[in-house]
Amino acid sequence: MSASQASSTTAGLIVRRLIQLPFIVLAVYTLTFVLAWSVPGNPLENPEGRRPSPEVVEAMKKQYKLDDPVAFYFDYLGKASGVSYLLGKDDKPFDLGPSLKQPDWSVNEILATGLPVSMTLGLSAMLIALVLGIVAGTIGGLKPGSPIDAFTQLLAIAGISLPSFVIGSALLMLFAVKLGISPVGGWGGLSFVALPAFTLSLPFAAYISRLIRFGMIEEMGADHIRTARAKGLPRWRVAFKHALKNAFLPVLSYLGPATATALTGSFVVEKVFAVPGIGQNFVDGVLGKDITLVMGVVLVYSTMMVVFNLAVDVMYRFVDPRIA
Amino acid sequence: MRVLAPLILLVLALLAAIALDRPLPPADLVIIESADCYTLDPQRMSYQQELRRARVLYEPLLNLRATDCAIVPGVAKSWEVSDDRLAYVFHLRDDAKWSNGDPVTSGDFAYSWRRAIMPDTAADYSGLFMNVRGAHAFHARRTAALKEYAKNPAARTQADADALLRESFADFRDNVGIETPDAQTFVVHLEHPVAYFLDICSFPCLAPVHPATVEKFVSLNAESGRIIQRHGWTKPGFIVTNGAYVPTVWRYKRDMRLEANPFYWRRDEVVAKSIECRTIENPNTAVLSFESGAGDWLPDVGPVYKAELLAERKVYLERFKAEYEAGVALGRTHDDIVGALPEPRDGERRDVRGINAFGTDFFSFNCRPTLTGGKPNPFHDARVRRAFALAVDKQALVDRVTRLGERVASTLVPLGSIAGYPEVHGLGFDPARARAELKSAGYEDRNGDGVVESAGGEPFPTVDILYSTASPRFQNLALAMRDMWKRELGVPAECRGKDSKLYKDDLKQGNFMIARGGWYGDYGDPTTWLDLQRKGNGNNDRGYDNPRFDAMIDAAEAETDPAKRLQALARCEEWLFTEELPILPLCNYVTVYMYDPARLGGISEHPRLEQDLTKLTRRDGVVPAAPAKDSQR
Repeated sequence: MSASQASSTTAGLIVRRLIQLPFIVLAVYTLTFVLAWSVPGNPLENPEGRRPSPEVVEAMKKQYKLDDPVAFYFDYLGKASGVSYLLGKDDKPFDLGPSLKQPDWSVNEILATGLPVSMTLGLSAMLIALVLGIVAGTIGGLKPGSPIDAFTQLLAIAGISLPSFVIGSALLMLFAVKLGISPVGGWGGLSFVALPAFTLSLPFAAYISRLIRFGMIEEMGADHIRTARAKGLPRWRVAFKHALKNAFLPVLSYLGPATATALTGSFVVEKVFAVPGIGQNFVDGVLGKDITLVMGVVLVYSTMMVVFNLAVDVMYRFVDPRIA
Repeated sequence: MRVLAPLILLVLALLAAIALDRPLPPADLVIIESADCYTLDPQRMSYQQELRRARVLYEPLLNLRATDCAIVPGVAKSWEVSDDRLAYVFHLRDDAKWSNGDPVTSGDFAYSWRRAIMPDTAADYSGLFMNVRGAHAFHARRTAALKEYAKNPAARTQADADALLRESFADFRDNVGIETPDAQTFVVHLEHPVAYFLDICSFPCLAPVHPATVEKFVSLNAESGRIIQRHGWTKPGFIVTNGAYVPTVWRYKRDMRLEANPFYWRRDEVVAKSIECRTIENPNTAVLSFESGAGDWLPDVGPVYKAELLAERKVYLERFKAEYEAGVALGRTHDDIVGALPEPRDGERRDVRGINAFGTDFFSFNCRPTLTGGKPNPFHDARVRRAFALAVDKQALVDRVTRLGERVASTLVPLGSIAGYPEVHGLGFDPARARAELKSAGYEDRNGDGVVESAGGEPFPTVDILYSTASPRFQNLALAMRDMWKRELGVPAECRGKDSKLYKDDLKQGNFMIARGGWYGDYGDPTTWLDLQRKGNGNNDRGYDNPRFDAMIDAAEAETDPAKRLQALARCEEWLFTEELPILPLCNYVTVYMYDPARLGGISEHPRLEQDLTKLTRRDGVVPAAPAKDSQR
């Protein structure tokens, strides 16, 4: 197959996926909307605070279209997608609305402050996970059954099964309180990123190490590896240059959903380390029935998820031309 | 590998993102808050942390002095009250300025108060303004007019909305008792005398906003006729304040930096020139962060292990009991004594402290004649309510369940929290009398099975105890009281925990027999507590309806002499908590602070806990020669 053919199919893939994108996001939006709307309660009332008068609640419901799910559904979708803007009904596109619980902040502003933080944390975690996972998996995969393999396997099982609030709290106690070499919580600088990113990376690192280990064991017994070894190539060179490349392929396809999970699933870590990301805002939004905030975050995250998966699929083609 | 190139790019991008996002420069004072402010708009706020912030951003007509909650001048340098106690004339000071240099005028107050009264603003605390003559009627008229207007939204134009608004503003000017004879004079006429009106005037929601700034973010909706307030004006760069500080950075749910307002008339008295308020929502992380030295004051210690922290403090104070008592005898403050003691050893601490707050923890009895579903309600009978109240050993609850060293309460108003209000005591723990009360209501154990029955042989209905699952404290209290009632009275009882929203729904609909409750006072007067029992009060969850009580309160309010009025209210409260018991008070809330008295001075112990941030001083490990009290004056 010629290079131009490969790139045209890659372009085709991108176009196909981009056409699918709005439909996937719409499905996610609709499902989330139904779930969020059916939660009992009312965003305009504070469970522990003062109660606004009934007329006030009524007026606010009208203003935000909370009295009519169908109107809210289409109105919000139009504003968020930019359709209202294109039709000239709105003065700005991609308006995710005001937060119902937080009158000083629009959902766009909350995302603008929190999303870069969550992305930095999530991507840093994925980088750490890749390094840890590949190193541990390769060591174990080269000498299966050895004590060091058993040890890395044990660590991997611990990384998968221990919840991050346990690991996070333990790391905080050790590094921030006992040793005093890390700040306890907050954000702003490398020292603030290290502990939460490491905590968040552990389950992914564990999974990656297991994928690599299995891949390495399989690859090291394969014909082309035996041939390379027979040619007299050094063992490390064969392992890293030939075996690891193929063992890495399953990891690559895991990276798309894993990155999305690291970005969206970081709320526990964000909470433990007081990281001002989107995670806590999203959880607070769900608990407070702040429906505009919930829908806004879901829309942005589902779009990101589709794009990440697409990016991984494109990368896959570069690494392994057989797929095309 | 080709895959390495994007990875290297990613690493560089991440390093750049991390390097560009810096923490704030060091501030003179760092406060660790458990929640960020939802709004900095004084008319729309309602949460503790917001009101605390508002007190240093906006200055109302009057201020509350943190040390004793006395009313002291704010923007108003003096004031007069008419003989009929219906008119208040405030004289504003010439040197009161906004943070952009504009003078603070009576027109700013008139604008802000109108804003709070307009239903368009949906102010949570609009109720505080309803004492102003004509405010309530105006609010109702504007609400009705908007409702009428919105019936035909399609036919409405911007001109219609403008016309309605002009009409409403004219109505306000003519019929609401607010006058501004000149820029330095602000006159308020009340609907009826309000003994605590000056106290209300010090509440942050009555502070002014800068009209020109706010108006830039206001528009009028043609379809609904309502004023729509966009939120941008509260952001640093836009916001204009008239208090001690101006926010210069606000990163949501992360941090806020306050800098001293250079135009504030008392700027020379502001000790901390910059304050950083850091938000840490996780209670455990907040405590660890404080312990690592990242903050000077943690105003809301949340973790369930706070009882253990307080126990460590007890061990420390036990070791220096003699020194502490000697200091108290000399009239020195707690912080001065404790701050001068030697450092705590392992297992001891002095950086945590529980202070009695202006709040009371209680359970509510459903006082309605019938329960939801139409069944007769045994708690409609005051004798049954008294029996249940008498059977609760509150000291045991405080010692073994809540464990924060709370003061047991038999009435609602916390003792000593309101100057001039007499000490009132309600029913204590008396199981024998409890059984007698229940018997007089017709319930006793007639067949010896340990369960009380009515005269007709019907067992006492299973008591439905409702609590919210928001905190383990509520569940633990409910379970402990259920056992007390089973043991002392022989009544079957069941606890029903619900998510806070569903709990609130059940509470509002009266779907409970006994339910968890609690209240923090809004202003320094017993009526902030007693009004909860009035018929029709929005927070009368008990459905308590007794014309005699309402009449007693009205009679007390008619009293012109303040001291006699307070005595009449005290009699009212005493009657309520010895005879009627719509509420079963348990204890006063304790607010747990973390601060090291050797490092931070200026914390007030007054139950209203209105801390004056301008007076908090970092001692930097050096015990100051002058006592903290002096620095507060």
